[in-house]
Amino acid sequence: MAAIFRTIYDWLLRVFWATEMDVTMIGLQNAGKSSLLRVLAGGEFTVDLLDSSIPTIGFNTKRVQKGHVTLKCWDLGGQPRFRPMWERYCRGVNAIVYIVDAADRAALPVATEELHDLMKKPTLDSIPLLVLGNKSDLPDKLSVDELIEAMDLKSVTHREVSCYGISAKEETNLDAVLHWLIHRASR
Amino acid sequence: MSYMKKDEDADQVMIKLDRTSVFQDARLFNSSPISPRTCRTLLTKIAVLMFTGEQFPTNEATTLFFGISKLFQNKDPSLRQMVYLILKELAGTAEDVIMSTSIIMKDTAVGSDVLYRANAIRALCRIIDASTVQGIERLIKTAIVDKTPSVSSAALVSSYHLLPIARDVVRRWQSETQEAASSSKSSTGFLGFSSSSQSHAISQSNFMTQYHAIGLLYQMRAHDRMSLVKMVQQYGAAGVVKSPAALLLLVRLAAKLAEEDQGLRKPMMQMLDGWLRHKHEMVNFEAAKAICDMRDVTDAEASQAVHVLQLFLSSPRSITKFAAIRILHNFASFKPHVVNVCNPDIESLISNSNRSIATFAITTLLKTGNEASVDRLMKQISGFMADITDEFKVTIVEAIRTLCLKFPSKQAGMLVFLSGILRDEGGYEFKRTVVESMFDLIKFVPESKEDALAHLCEFIEDCEFTKLSVRILHLLGAEGPKTTHPTKYIRYIYNRVVLENAIVRAAAVTALAKFGVGQKDPEVKSSVQVLLTRCLDDTDDEVRDRAALNLRLMGEEDEAASAFIKNDSMYSLSTFEHQLVMYVTSGDKQTFAAAFDVATVPVVSHEQALAEERTKKLTSATPTLKAPSAGPTKSKASGGMAEAATASATQKYAEQIMQHPDLKEYGTLLKSSGPVELSESETEYVVTAVKHIFKEHIVVQYDIKNTLPDTVLENVTVAATPEEEDVLEEDFIIPAPKLPTDEPGVVYVAFKKLGGENSVPVTSFTNNLKFTSKEIDPTTGEPEDSGYDDEYQVEDLELTGSDYVIPTFAGSFDHVWEQTGANGEEESETLQLSNMKGINDATEQLIAALSLQPLEGTDVALNSSTHTLKLFGKTVSGGRVASLIKMAYSSKAGVTTKITVRAEEEGVAAAVIASVS
Repeated sequence: MAAIFRTIYDWLLRVFWATEMDVTMIGLQNAGKSSLLRVLAGGEFTVDLLDSSIPTIGFNTKRVQKGHVTLKCWDLGGQPRFRPMWERYCRGVNAIVYIVDAADRAALPVATEELHDLMKKPTLDSIPLLVLGNKSDLPDKLSVDELIEAMDLKSVTHREVSCYGISAKEETNLDAVLHWLIHRASR
Repeated sequence: MSYMKKDEDADQVMIKLDRTSVFQDARLFNSSPISPRTCRTLLTKIAVLMFTGEQFPTNEATTLFFGISKLFQNKDPSLRQMVYLILKELAGTAEDVIMSTSIIMKDTAVGSDVLYRANAIRALCRIIDASTVQGIERLIKTAIVDKTPSVSSAALVSSYHLLPIARDVVRRWQSETQEAASSSKSSTGFLGFSSSSQSHAISQSNFMTQYHAIGLLYQMRAHDRMSLVKMVQQYGAAGVVKSPAALLLLVRLAAKLAEEDQGLRKPMMQMLDGWLRHKHEMVNFEAAKAICDMRDVTDAEASQAVHVLQLFLSSPRSITKFAAIRILHNFASFKPHVVNVCNPDIESLISNSNRSIATFAITTLLKTGNEASVDRLMKQISGFMADITDEFKVTIVEAIRTLCLKFPSKQAGMLVFLSGILRDEGGYEFKRTVVESMFDLIKFVPESKEDALAHLCEFIEDCEFTKLSVRILHLLGAEGPKTTHPTKYIRYIYNRVVLENAIVRAAAVTALAKFGVGQKDPEVKSSVQVLLTRCLDDTDDEVRDRAALNLRLMGEEDEAASAFIKNDSMYSLSTFEHQLVMYVTSGDKQTFAAAFDVATVPVVSHEQALAEERTKKLTSATPTLKAPSAGPTKSKASGGMAEAATASATQKYAEQIMQHPDLKEYGTLLKSSGPVELSESETEYVVTAVKHIFKEHIVVQYDIKNTLPDTVLENVTVAATPEEEDVLEEDFIIPAPKLPTDEPGVVYVAFKKLGGENSVPVTSFTNNLKFTSKEIDPTTGEPEDSGYDDEYQVEDLELTGSDYVIPTFAGSFDHVWEQTGANGEEESETLQLSNMKGINDATEQLIAALSLQPLEGTDVALNSSTHTLKLFGKTVSGGRVASLIKMAYSSKAGVTTKITVRAEEEGVAAAVIASVS
């Protein structure tokens, strides 16, 4: 009975207070953007070699439904040739999610540089930024504090910045990510 | 009626679309949530703009593209389709379209809605670039063999477009394509619509997929002749391919193969013959056309095709009749005697209510008929001319004009016909064509001159078109004084001065003056003078000025006046135009510092200009509807254009040669031969030679290309030794200092003619390349210091009589033949040319070998067993050379020819003949 009420309540919420928000997910290649998006949208995490070895050419979109909020997620390719296009897709979105491979220390300087370059763009002023250290299930990962330190996130100003450690594979901390995102929508 | 009105209104709304406002509206794409309806309307507007020729500049297109990417994966399938349609169009101009690859790939996967899957595939292939094609390989492969025809077709056509971008990847899809070609998916609803009415309309099983697959297979195998042959035989077999369009491709391919390779001719002809009996008309027509277009087709082979076409002539459908008569019409130009058998059927078409068919029928009959029937036809046309429109009259007049040029003996009847229709009612275009036809008769058929001039004189008596009057008066002025009774034209011309408007009066005064200036007969001269003096009182100043000038010129006794009035040479108009355009469109400011130099434009004689014009007319009058590789037209063009080509080649080489100060001293270049290959194109050193003839010297230009990798040839010279001594003496050699791999270089070897200015030395040279060969050090990329001297012998070069001859046009061959015979020498020789494939082949090769201009349309052999070729030219020093060649062909002995050459200068006739044997 309660379940029925719950469904009706959700449905009413969707109909009358439905909000849609755009979220852009960026990060270097192989950081796990597409996998994360798939898991967020309710799919399975696949380690299938064939599938994961196909890098995103350009971008992908998926909708994620959470309560009365629909997240329209733009998953952009992370290869160097697509990086100049990030800025264009970040314009006017509700939040930018920057995904870092927390276990890949070698790539970290490049990831840092790309992020700071992007944040300097005047068009993206005051858009909230969420930095996610993905692959926290791997043994050699950086902790959240180390990540904040390494990426010099304290110097990013004029916007809301958060940093979480997550794992798309183990589905750790994903609820926190969704909550953070939905919270941006209500403002 | 009301419906029509509504439609008009709608149309106007569309026209008012404005690019900037549509671009502004495109912000709508960024709104959230998306309204599929309004977005679709907006996309339609963009489509209308693009399809009506509006171009979005790159930055706007890019913005639009990024806007549209917000619409991807929308739930509304029609919106998705529309998005892909627009994306395809934007792909060319917008930047970064590659961004949408991944997202489109989702829609192309198996299991996505069939409705937009085909659209997605097509869009995907437009935006992809070479480096990412591999990423979609698996996807396209599955789509090619998909069971839905629309998807399969989309994948095939897209692969066709991808082929030039990523040849290697696409060629890996052969087996899938083959599968698609042989599977018979009958396409019910080709566009993928499943709405009942639509699918019913197009469900008559067209096998479009097969057509696309065959097209793609051909592109994949285009470089491998054997697999193409296999393809024709495999898919050409009865029942394998059901689509008539696909068979059409195979027919064309078979024809191409037969043309390119003599060995394949027989099997391919058999295939073509089989297709003549195919159940689809389309295939029959294509096969018949292919057979008729075949180079050196025999009468027996063609007769079957002609028979099939003949059956179609009596078909009840206009379109079928039209297609048949059009092919016959073309074919009749080359083998009228084969088309003859259809004449009764064609004649019944003259009265066909479809004027296109009737016109083709008449022009075909004009070609196939013998002399007697041409006259009868003329009569029939005269009755017919009254009730057709001007456009068709123009077509018929043009056909007759071509006929006049081809068969000058029939001019009398045609002239009567032309003058008859000149009196009829008609617009300017029609009258102009008739008048121009008569001009051509006057220019190229000397016998008709007097009669034609008389008809034209009559015409201007009552001519409402000022432009035509002026042109006719000019012609009367040019041609009139040369006739036997110039006085009778003077009356006609003066009548114009009295009766016409100022423009015509001025033209008439100039024409009159041509009769007066340099006139030997004092009576005529004084009467012209009287007439011109009267013109001094004209109301128009231009007329008065011209009269005064010409009166003054008539008073002058010297040659200058007459040279001024009867200027016989003119600038080569095509070169003049080209150079002017180059000057005006030059981007460099330096060019405009100096005025345009007229002296650089070559001056040609009146005769030469006429010859060029005639060639143009003969080639343009036969419509070329065939592929450019088709046989007969090509040979005709190359034969006729010989002169123009020679002139331009000589001009091109002259520019290069003038850059060498030593060669510049030799004076102007009189003639350059075409390039002669002295080596196989696959050898280490590829050598071609060009012979340049100067007044007292001969220069041989060797173009040498070193194809050996990692070597440099230095100080390259050619030791050219004439076989016969004491005709030529080597003057000097300009070596090529350095020849890196694959960069052509030039060596000049100059000889002095020992026989003096007008001698025509004939000899052959043995050629030895001499050079220092150095290897390139792979580490530094620089040639090593020490090399070794080497020699390399290439084939011998022949210097023949034809190298001294330039093709030239003359109005009447018999005339020049008699004249050269009277004051020159004659040589003749009988030759057996066993390696020629037929009369046409021999004609073409002899024209090229002798380097003479074919006259009186003899460059097209009308009979395949005997032919007479009439050739004319001038030597570099201006002496005339005429040649009469009689040929007979038999399959056993090949072509037997008797060549007779007459030349005004000593030794030339023998030298020219020697260039054939």
